[in-house]
Formats: sequence, C-alpha cells, structure tokens
Amino acid sequence: MVLARVKGTVVATHKSPPMEGLKLLLLEKIDPVTLKGKGDYVVGIDSVGANAGEIVFYVTGSSARMTDTTKGKPSDATIIAIVDAIEKDGALTYDKSAEQSAQGSAHKSAQGSEQ
Amino acid sequence: MNIARVRGTVVATQRSDKVDAARFLLVEECDQRGAGRNEYFVALDLIGADRGQLVLLTQGSSCRWTFRTDDRPMDTLVVAIVDTIDERGVVTYTGQG
Repeated sequence: MVLARVKGTVVATHKSPPMEGLKLLLLEKIDPVTLKGKGDYVVGIDSVGANAGEIVFYVTGSSARMTDTTKGKPSDATIIAIVDAIEKDGALTYDKSAEQSAQGSAHKSAQGSEQ
Repeated sequence: MNIARVRGTVVATQRSDKVDAARFLLVEECDQRGAGRNEYFVALDLIGADRGQLVLLTQGSSCRWTFRTDDRPMDTLVVAIVDTIDERGVVTYTGQG
C-alpha cells in the first residue's frame, strides 16, 4: 500500500459503464517523514469516503478490485484507508487530530486579525 | 519478495479492507545489505515484526494467498523476518537476534 494525500477530485462524464457511480480522487504520493508531496500523481477510486487534504493509503493492481465498491470494476488503484497517524522511529510524523486542530486555530487567528 | 526495514507504524481506523485487528507497518525498501532506498510502503504485518528489523515483503496479488488476506484488498504484506543474508558466501546482513 502507498501513502498519498488527497489533492482533489477527478470528474469524467464519458466513461466505461462499470465505472459509473465511482468517486475518483486525485492523489499525490507523499514522503511519510516530511509529509511533502513527491510530485507523483495518481487517480484512485474511493472506497472509504476520503476528503481533500486527508492522508490515505491505496492498493494497486488486482487487489484494487477486492473492495465492495470496486468488485468487478476496472480499477487498478483503490483507496482503502484514511490515515489517523504515522509513527517513524518512535516519533509521530503525522497526527490527523493535531493537524486539524492546528488548522482550526490558524483559521480562528486569521479571522481575529480581520476584525 | 523485496527486502525492507520496519521504520514505524501507520494507524488507520477508517478502512475498507475487512482485515480484523490489522497492524500496519511503515516499511522502507532496502538493498541486500540493509541500507534504505528512501522508498516507503504501508504493509500489513502478519508475523509481529518490530521496528528496525529487516523483513521480507510480498507485493501484488500474491498477498491474497494467506488465510487472513484471502479475497481482501491487500497488496503489501510482511511475511518473514530476515535473520541473515549472504552474498557470494559473505554475510552482508545479520539481525540483532
């Protein structure tokens, strides 16, 4: 499985019938230590309800067809999990709850400076 | 199988993999001497590998040939802990036991 950040959505109206109803997300592979994007993008099918900004991991190849969402569908990259935390050498390199609260307080302070 | 080193863990509670009590490891691909290649994967741990250990990774559809991953969307698995590697008769890696 490969770690990536959801960067956006991909919309395609003209597609193969089995692809209909699937949510396509634009993913950028990340370095698990710095969390920075590698500039390497892939389009993945969502099976967990991931949103933009979240870190996820996805499966590739025939394993991408093994979720309930993608069974029998021509998917070769499927998001199977939303990451809560990444730990490397005993230290957290990513903590979703901390990142969200940091964003919340940054938003609040930005609002405060406007007033 | 590829050689990799266990670098840490990845926690994910919201999943669609249907694997019970899953433990996901952050692993870094290594060369035959155990030096990292700065290429990371998330791997399902089936054997209880610890941080720092050199392990064998199974990737692709072969991952589904275990009882716990049969018919499940898994493509990277830790299947063994490496004790030693020798290259042309010279030991290039020994685990710390």
